[in-house]
Order: sequence, then C-alpha cells, then structure tokens
Amino acid sequence: MYLAQRLDALRYPGLLAGPLLRSRGKRLSVTARTEADVAMEAYAGGDDAAFGTVYDALAPRLYGYLLRQTRDRARAEDLVQQTMLHIHRARARFIPGAEVTPWAFAIARRLLVDSLRRGRREVLATDDELDGRADRRPSAEELVQARELATRVEGVLARLPQSQRAAFELIKNEGLSVAEAAQVLGTTVAAVKLRAHRAYEALRSALGDALAGFEREKS
Amino acid sequence: MPPPELRDRVLAAVRAEPMPSRVSGSRRAAVVLAAGLLPSVALSVYVGGPSTADRPVGFTVAVTLAWLGIAAVATLAAFSRGTSMLGRPASYRLAVATFTPVALLAASLVAALFWPETLADHSTMRDHVVCIVVTFVCSLGPLAAFAVLRRRSEPLMPRLTGAALGAAAGGWAAVTIELHCGHAAPDHVIAGHLLPVALVTLVGVLVGDGVLAIRAKHG
Repeated sequence: MYLAQRLDALRYPGLLAGPLLRSRGKRLSVTARTEADVAMEAYAGGDDAAFGTVYDALAPRLYGYLLRQTRDRARAEDLVQQTMLHIHRARARFIPGAEVTPWAFAIARRLLVDSLRRGRREVLATDDELDGRADRRPSAEELVQARELATRVEGVLARLPQSQRAAFELIKNEGLSVAEAAQVLGTTVAAVKLRAHRAYEALRSALGDALAGFEREKS
Repeated sequence: MPPPELRDRVLAAVRAEPMPSRVSGSRRAAVVLAAGLLPSVALSVYVGGPSTADRPVGFTVAVTLAWLGIAAVATLAAFSRGTSMLGRPASYRLAVATFTPVALLAASLVAALFWPETLADHSTMRDHVVCIVVTFVCSLGPLAAFAVLRRRSEPLMPRLTGAALGAAAGGWAAVTIELHCGHAAPDHVIAGHLLPVALVTLVGVLVGDGVLAIRAKHG
C-alpha cells in the first residue's frame, strides 16, 4: 500500500487507479465556472483585490506542476511569479467567460519550455519537497522500491515523444481534464486522448511486471 | 504548496506594475490602433491621396469597399480569440493568413469582370516597385499597433498569430494603395499590391516569434 502512495506522491498519481481517461473528482468541468474564472472576471472588471483570489486558486497547482517539471524550487517559484504576472498583464484583455486554468497552464508551460531551453535542470529537489502527502515514515526497502519504480517510470516517459509525455503529465499529474489539456497543448481533444492513451500503454507495457507487483501489494 | 512569501512577492510585483481594467484597456487599444493607422493614412495622402486615376469610378469604389471589408474581417478574425484566452485553432489562424491576399485578389478579379477595360496592363516595373514599397511601408504602422496590443500574450502558436495579424495589416495597406494607384490590371495588383501583403505576413511570423510569444525572464 505504501509503495502505491509513494508512487502517487513522487510523480504519477492514479497510475494504478484505473483507466487513464476515467473521470476524477477533482477535475474541473469544462463548462463549470471555477473560483479562478470568477475571480479573474472580477479582476478584469476593476476589482483589484480579486487578484489575490486568482493567485490562491491557481498558484498551488502551477507550483506543483512547475516543481515536478523543474525539480528546482527557486525556479518553480520564479516561473509561478512570471505566470501570475502574465495573467495580471492580460487584465484588460481577459475575455468574459473564458477559462483561466488552461490559459494559466499554457503560460506556465511556455515559460517552462523557454526557461529549460536556456538552462539545464540544475538542482534536484529532495523527495520531501515533492511529497507532502505521505502520512507515515517508509521503511528503507519501501523507499528503495518506490524510487526504483519512479525512476523506471521517468525513464519510460523520457523516451516517449514530447507530445505524448506532455498530454500524460497534464492529465495524470495536474488533474486537468482532457479538454483542458487540449487547450493547453493547442490541439484537439481527440489528439490528446490518443497521445495520453499511447503514453499510458507504453508505461503499462514497460512496467508490466512492476505494476503487477504493486497490485499484489495493494490487494 | 508554494511558500507564503511567494504570494507576498507576487502581489507586491502586481501592485508595482498597475494594469488597466477592461474598460480603460479598451480605450487604450483604440488609441493604439488609431496611432498605428495614422502614419499609413498620412503616407497615402503624401503620395497623392485617394484618386481614381484612369480607372472607372464604379470599379474603384467597388474594389475599395470590398478590400476595406476584407481588411476589417481579417483584422477581426486575426485579433479575435473567440471564447478562450488561448485563441483560435492553428487552422483558423493559418486560414486568415492565407486567404486574406487570396480574397483581395478574388475581389479585384470579380470587379474586373464588370469593368473589363481595367484588365489592360499599362503598368511598368517602376510602378510595381513603387506600389510594393508604399504598400509594405503602409502596413508597418498597423502591424506595429497589433504587436503592441498583443505583446507577450501568446502562449500558443505565436508565429501563426503573427502571420494572421501581418496579413490583416497588409490588408489595410492594400486598401490605402488601392485608393491611390491607377493601375488595376491583375499582373500589377498581384505584384504591386498583394505581394507586399504576403511579405508583411512573413514579417508577422517574425513579429510573432519575437514580440508576441511569451518569454521567460532570467536573472
């Protein structure tokens, strides 16, 4: 059980939880107005104080995404700040009724790609930075197994085409809906479904034995 | 979770860089667009101003109105993000960039069917060159205005957005030269009036990459 939690916390929540495209409770409906949407609307309309709510609604998810991608706390913070400033600068251009979350992730992703092009991943975050959810101390053996599996998952993902990896990570790690991920990546829902499915299949075929081990342990 | 001091930092940065709300932003956009069109109009007046020259008045009016409509539609299409802050699909932006000069040519040819005498070509290479230069220069003002309004705001496909905006700017410049130039033969229209629209579309690609795209700041 613990190994599954570790895997979840390290990078790949929901990997063992069922079909890739299954609806998840925390996902946002494409049409539902989120707190961020409402707050940004108020901010664009002239309510200066609403930006704090926009920040509170977006920053934790953006930070988690950027920290997982950069493994560098300082860089993740810097990119969150830049993303929020881009959102702030678009105040007058904000379209009434537009969704904020996919837009924010698209800005963050663009900044991330631009940032990574200019530099290398430098500082590796500790596992504790990536994992705020483990509720008990692991045994040494569990920790080693979880790390090994996470390393293998990372290896498989690293070999995937960038488009498949991005679709998979946005859906599985960041909890975006398929439609939101499609917006972030500037492509169609069908294309994102296909890419994420292929990524999932590649992971499943490469990690079949390890996953079977996890499933045995979970049961 | 992002550290609490990041929130303070972001909100302090936002306060230090006040941005207009939607209402005052719209007024600013109107001023910028007017400022962008002004040099083009001034140049058009400087080189002779509106004139039918040897063309039938009905032909001149018809083509000018048609091109005016095409330029307006192209601008709305290039500028419109629809209901998403991430803008229209790639195919839409590509269509605006591609079909704007095609639509201008089609309108000119359709008008020529009703005034076949305009098909006779009396233009020289010098006429072509003058029209290319004037049209290209006239397009720079609107393109600069579009770039200012969309600066650092495109997380997805900035080059295609730039191309669409370039084609729209070229459309306005084509209107200004159409008001002035006395040559209506298809050869001259293609070489002198539409080739620069294609050129400024390519310039728009560069503007998209250099000005419209979101870039990470370092340091």
